[in-house]
Amino acid sequence: MISWIILLFLPGLTAYAQSPETEHFERKIRPILLKHCVECHSSQLDNPMGGFRVDSKIALLSGGVSGPAIIPKQADESLLIKALRYKDPLLKMPPSGKLPDRVIRDFEIWISNGALDPRSDKPDLSKSPKKPAGPGTPIAEGRKWWAFQPLVELPPPDHNQKNWPQKKLDAFVLAKLQENGLEPSPYADPHTLIRRASLDLTGLPPSYKEIEDFVLDPSPNAYKELIERLLASPRYGERWGRHWLDVARWAEDHPTNESTNQPHEFAWRYRDWVIEAFNKDIPYDRFIRMQFAADLLPNFKPADMRALGYIGNAPVYHKDPRLSRDVIETLASDDWDERVDAVSRGLLGLTVACARCHDHKFDPITNEDYYGLAGVFASQWLVRRPIVDMNPKVAEKLIWDYERLYRLKGQHRLLRTLSTVAKEVHPQIKAMKTDFEALEKLLAENKIPLTHAVIDCGVWIDGSTPTVTWIDLHPNKSRDLPVFIGGNVSNPGKVVPRRFLTVFSEGLTPDPFKKGSGRLDLANKIVGVAGPLTSRVWVNRVWGWHFGEHLVRTPSDFGVQGQKPTHPQLLDDLAARFIKNGWSLKWLHREIMLSATYRQASRSIKLAKQVDPTNQWLWRKSPGRLDVEAWRDTILQASGELNFNMGGPSENIDLKNSTRRSVYSKISRSLLHPLLQLYDFPVATQHKPKRQVTTTPLQQLFVLNSKWMQDRAERLAERVADLENSTAKITSLYRMTLARNPKASEIDLALKFLKNPDLNHNRRPWEEYAQVLLGSSELAYLD
Amino acid sequence: MLKTVQSTQCSNIQSMGRRAFLERLCGGLGAVGLTGMLASDLRASNIPFGPHFAPSAKHVIFLFLTGGPSHIDMFDPKPALQKYAGQRPDSVNLRTERMTGGLLPSPFKFQKYGQNGTEISELLPNLAGCVDELSVIRSMYTFNPTHTPARNLIHSGNIASTLPTLGAWLSYGLGNENENLPGFVVLSPEPGGFSGSSLWRSGFLPTKHQGTHFNHSETNPEKMIRYIQNNKLNAKIQRDQLDLLTSLNREHQSNIGEDAFLEARIEAMETAYRMQFEALDVFDIKKEPENVRKEYGSTFFANGCLLARRLVEKGVRYIHVFYGPGQPWDDHKDINKNLRNRCPDMDQAAAALLRDLKQRGLLEETLVVWGGEFGRTPVSESGNGRDHNPFGFTMWMAGGGIKGGMTYGSTDDFGFQAVENRVSVHDLHATILNQLGFDHEHLTYRYAGRDFRLTDVHGRVLSELIR
Repeated sequence: MISWIILLFLPGLTAYAQSPETEHFERKIRPILLKHCVECHSSQLDNPMGGFRVDSKIALLSGGVSGPAIIPKQADESLLIKALRYKDPLLKMPPSGKLPDRVIRDFEIWISNGALDPRSDKPDLSKSPKKPAGPGTPIAEGRKWWAFQPLVELPPPDHNQKNWPQKKLDAFVLAKLQENGLEPSPYADPHTLIRRASLDLTGLPPSYKEIEDFVLDPSPNAYKELIERLLASPRYGERWGRHWLDVARWAEDHPTNESTNQPHEFAWRYRDWVIEAFNKDIPYDRFIRMQFAADLLPNFKPADMRALGYIGNAPVYHKDPRLSRDVIETLASDDWDERVDAVSRGLLGLTVACARCHDHKFDPITNEDYYGLAGVFASQWLVRRPIVDMNPKVAEKLIWDYERLYRLKGQHRLLRTLSTVAKEVHPQIKAMKTDFEALEKLLAENKIPLTHAVIDCGVWIDGSTPTVTWIDLHPNKSRDLPVFIGGNVSNPGKVVPRRFLTVFSEGLTPDPFKKGSGRLDLANKIVGVAGPLTSRVWVNRVWGWHFGEHLVRTPSDFGVQGQKPTHPQLLDDLAARFIKNGWSLKWLHREIMLSATYRQASRSIKLAKQVDPTNQWLWRKSPGRLDVEAWRDTILQASGELNFNMGGPSENIDLKNSTRRSVYSKISRSLLHPLLQLYDFPVATQHKPKRQVTTTPLQQLFVLNSKWMQDRAERLAERVADLENSTAKITSLYRMTLARNPKASEIDLALKFLKNPDLNHNRRPWEEYAQVLLGSSELAYLD
Repeated sequence: MLKTVQSTQCSNIQSMGRRAFLERLCGGLGAVGLTGMLASDLRASNIPFGPHFAPSAKHVIFLFLTGGPSHIDMFDPKPALQKYAGQRPDSVNLRTERMTGGLLPSPFKFQKYGQNGTEISELLPNLAGCVDELSVIRSMYTFNPTHTPARNLIHSGNIASTLPTLGAWLSYGLGNENENLPGFVVLSPEPGGFSGSSLWRSGFLPTKHQGTHFNHSETNPEKMIRYIQNNKLNAKIQRDQLDLLTSLNREHQSNIGEDAFLEARIEAMETAYRMQFEALDVFDIKKEPENVRKEYGSTFFANGCLLARRLVEKGVRYIHVFYGPGQPWDDHKDINKNLRNRCPDMDQAAAALLRDLKQRGLLEETLVVWGGEFGRTPVSESGNGRDHNPFGFTMWMAGGGIKGGMTYGSTDDFGFQAVENRVSVHDLHATILNQLGFDHEHLTYRYAGRDFRLTDVHGRVLSELIR
C-alpha cells in the first residue's frame, strides 16, 4: 500500500507545532482522509465516486451528489459522520470496513469544534502525480517499510522434499519453488561444481589435475573441503576484495585530473588493505567502521590507516580558485554529495542523495537528513597520512605539510596569471610560491610511506577576496551545514547538526554526532542502529555475486522505488544469522555454497523457463559469463604466464610484461582502460549498483585481432611445442585452457584446421589454433 | 495526463508503445490498484523504445570547437565595442575565470549574407555562403566560466563529470541503425581523445551507449580503430580460424542447450568479422574522390567533417567531431592573430560538410550543430586576448528540420550577456532531441531511485527555429 500512499503524501512534520485545532486536523483527520478516502474521492480523478472529493477544504464542505458532507459544529447532522458510523444501510464508508470508534470520535470532535480545516481552498493534489510537491512520506509511516524492520531468525518453512535441503536457506527456496509449481534442478556434475566454486571464490578456474582429483575423491566431505581450501587461498581476497572495490567505487584518479585534483598516487594501498581484510575475514561491521574511522578505533595499528581510503580515494572535482565563492561551494557540495550517495546507496541501499534539494519523494528521508549526513563529509578533508608508527605531532605536521604543498602548488599554477592584474593578491601569490617550494625541498627527503585517507577538518569556502576564492580549512573543527534550499548553495536555510537519518532514531530528532567530524558515530550507526538494513544490503550483494542475480534486484535501492526481495524470509533469516555469526563473510560463503540451491545444475529446462524465465525462484543455477578480471586471469593462467605477486602499485595492463592478476591493474576515472571498458567494468565516477553485462562485436574484435590475444596464443603454443605428435599437443592444450580432455570430434576439427595449406604457408598454425581455444565461449562461460 | 484508464485509451496501447502506456497508467491516481502490480514491469523498462513521434532528423553531427570560440569575432557583430574601446562600463563588470580589462573591439568586418541578411564576419567567407541553411542562435548562455564544468554541461546537461552524454542518450533512445558500426562515434584527433572518455561517457546508461572514439589525426583506418584488423592473418585464413571457433562454440552450446549469452556471442563474433571490412572501408577517407577531399581541405578538422558525412551515409546516429587536439579556441592571448590562422580551415570544412550533405540529399535528415562550451568576453584579457564568457555566446544549427537563414536571440550591446530570447544548454538539448523525435521530458532512464533526463527539470524546445 505504501506505493500509493506516497503519491498522496502527508503534511510536513513542522505542521504539528501549530494551534490545537490544526494539530487535531493534521494528526487525526487528514491521515485518515488520505488513507481511507482519497483513493475514490480525489480531485485527481475525472469522476470521483459520488462526485465527492476530500482533498480540499471547499470540496469537503460542499460534498457530493448527496449534499454537503459536513455541517460545522453539528456532528450528528453531518453526512460524513453518518457514513462513518455505518448505521445507515445506504451510506457506509469506507467500504473496506468500519473504522475504529476512536477514529469516528476524532471526527465527531473535529466537526463539533467547527471543522477547522487549515488546507487551502484549492485541492493540494492538483499537481502532476509524477512530481508530488511537498514533503515525502512521514517518518512514522516510512518506518513500516519492510527494509526497516528488525531482523529475526525465522523457522524454515515446511516442504515435502526432505532429502534435498543441505542448508537452512534451501527450505526457503524450496517453498517458493513449490509455491510456483517448480522443482529444483539436479546437482551439477563434479567437474562443473569445482570450476564454479573455484571461479566464484578465487576468480580462477581449477587446473586439469585439481579437477581430476576432485572428481575421483570418494570422500563425502570432498566438496566441503574444497570450499575450505578455496576460502583459505590468498586468491580469495583478490577476488572478493575486487567485488568490494566495485561497491566502494574505488579508482586511482578523478573524472578530470587538473591542478587542484591530481591523481591519488597511493590509492593502491587501500586496495591492498581490502584484499588483506577479506583474506583475514575481518567482521563486516568492523570492516565498515575501519573504513570511516580506523584511526579512532581501539587497537589501531598504523597500517590500518589504509582503510580510510574508502573516502580518501573518492573522486574530487577541480576547484579553480579564480571562480566565485558560490561556484566553489557548489563544487565542494558536489563532492559531499558524492560521499553521501556512495555511502547511502553502497552500504544502506538508500538513495539519500535524492533528498539534496527536497524531502525524498518516496522514502522516509528528509531534506534535513541529507544535510545532517553531508555535514560529516564537510567536516573531513582528504589528506595523505603516514602508515607507520610515529609521534602524533610529527605525523600531523607531515600530513599538513603535504596537504599545503599540493594545494598551494595546484592553486599557484592557476593564480600566477593574476599577479599582474590583481594587485591585492599579489603578495599572497608570491608567498604561496616561496611556501610550496620550501615544502617541496623539505618533503623531497621524506621516506615515510603515505596513504590516502581523511582527517577531521571543517571545510569552509572563503569568498572575501574579490578575485580569489580560498578553501578555508579548520583542522579539528566541524562544520554543520545549512540546508541548501533547492540544492542551491547561495540559498542557505536552517543549519542541521551532523547526525544520522531520522528514520533510524527513536523519535523525530536524532541525536547530533559528538565526536569530531562524526565519522566514527556515522559508522557506528550504520552497523548499529541501521545494522539490520546494512546486513540485508550486504547479504543481498554477496548473494548476487554468487548467483549472478540478487534477491533484491535493485541492490543499491531498498526503498519504495526499489524491488522487493524475491525471497523476503530467506533474506531476513540469512541477514539475521549473518550478524549472529559475527558478521563473518566466510561463514556466509559456506552457508550459501554448501546449499543445495547453489549446487544445482545450470541447464535450461523448457517448462521451468516458461514459468520463470528470469529464474527468480532459483529452479537452477543461472549460468553467466566470466567478468573481465576472471577472463583475463584465466587466459594468462592458460598461457602459463600468470604472476601471483600480491600487492603494490598498480600496473597498466597494456604493458607487454603485465601478467599480474587483473585486480592489480590501474583503474582510472578519466580514461578507463579500453579492455576493461569493453567488458563492462564499471566506471568509478560514482557508485554503481551492479555491473552491466553486454556481449558486443567490439569485444569479439579484441578476441580475434588484438595483439594481446595473439601474444597469449603464442605463449600457449610454446608450452606444447616440444610434444611429439599433434594429438598429444591438442590434448595438452585442452587441459591447459579448458581443463578437460578433447573429444574425438574436437581432435578431428583441430587436425583438419592445422592441415590447412594456407595456414601452413606463412604462419605457425599452432598459435592460430591456440588462439581459438583461448577465445572459445567455453573458456568464458560460467555454468 | 491524470486520466483514469478507460477502454478508449487501452485500445491505443499498441500505438503508444508499452512503456508510454505503463507511464500513463501508473501516472493516474485512478490506476493506483494497478501500480503495485506493474511497478516492476515499469522499472524493467529501461530499454530503448524508438522515437516518441515522427522525427525530422535521423542523425546528428556536432562540430565542437573546444576551448570556446569567439562569437564577437565571428557571428555576433558589436559596433558599440569600437565606440567604447578600452572603457569598462558597469555592465561589463562580470566575473569570469580571469581578470579582465577594458572593452576590446573586433577588427573583423561583418557583412550581410543570404536572403535574410544575416551578418557574418569576414573570417568565415565559406559559411557566409551557406547562411541560408543556418539558424544562428546568438543568445546562448551556460552556468560555469571554466572549461571542464562548462564542457560537461554542454555534453551531458550537468556540470559534474558523471551523467550520460547527449550521444549516449540518443544511442539509448534510438538504438543502432547499422549493427556493424557503433551508433555513437567520437572523432578527436589525439590519442585517448580530449578529456579522456569523460565527454562521451554513458554514465548510468548501459556501457554499449558510450561513444566509441577514433583518433582521426590518423588517416589510416587500421591505425585509427583498435583491433579492427588482424595483422597476422589474411581474410581467408581468418575466416578458417573463425569457422573453427564457431564450430567449437556451437558444439559447446549444443551440449548446454538454450543460452542467451552463448548465442549472442556467436552472433557478435560474426558481426565483428564483417565489421572489420565495413569499418575499414568507411573510415578510409582516401576512398573519396580527390575533388571532394579538396572541398573539405586537408586538416584534421577537414578529415573529421568528411568522415562524419561518410558515417552518416552508413547509418551512424551521432558523430561528435572535436576541433582539436587540446582546446585550440581558448584564445586568452593574441586572439586576432589566432583567429586569422584557425578560422580558414574550420570555415572551409564546416561549409563543405553542409554543401556536401545538401547535395547528397542528406542535410534534410542530418542535424548539424556548431559551437563550443562557451563564448569569449568583449573585455580584454592581457590586452590582446579574451577570457571565457558563459553569459552569452553563439551556436548554430542547420539541417534536420531546422529553419535556415535566421538568427535567434541577441546579446547586450557589447556581446557579454544574452538578453533577448535567452537559450540555455538545456533548451538546445531539448531541441536536438525534438528533431530526433523525442519529447525531452519523456526520454528517461530509471537510476538510483529516480527517472533521469538529459534536460533534468529544464529545457524548452526552440519551436521558433523549427520548420
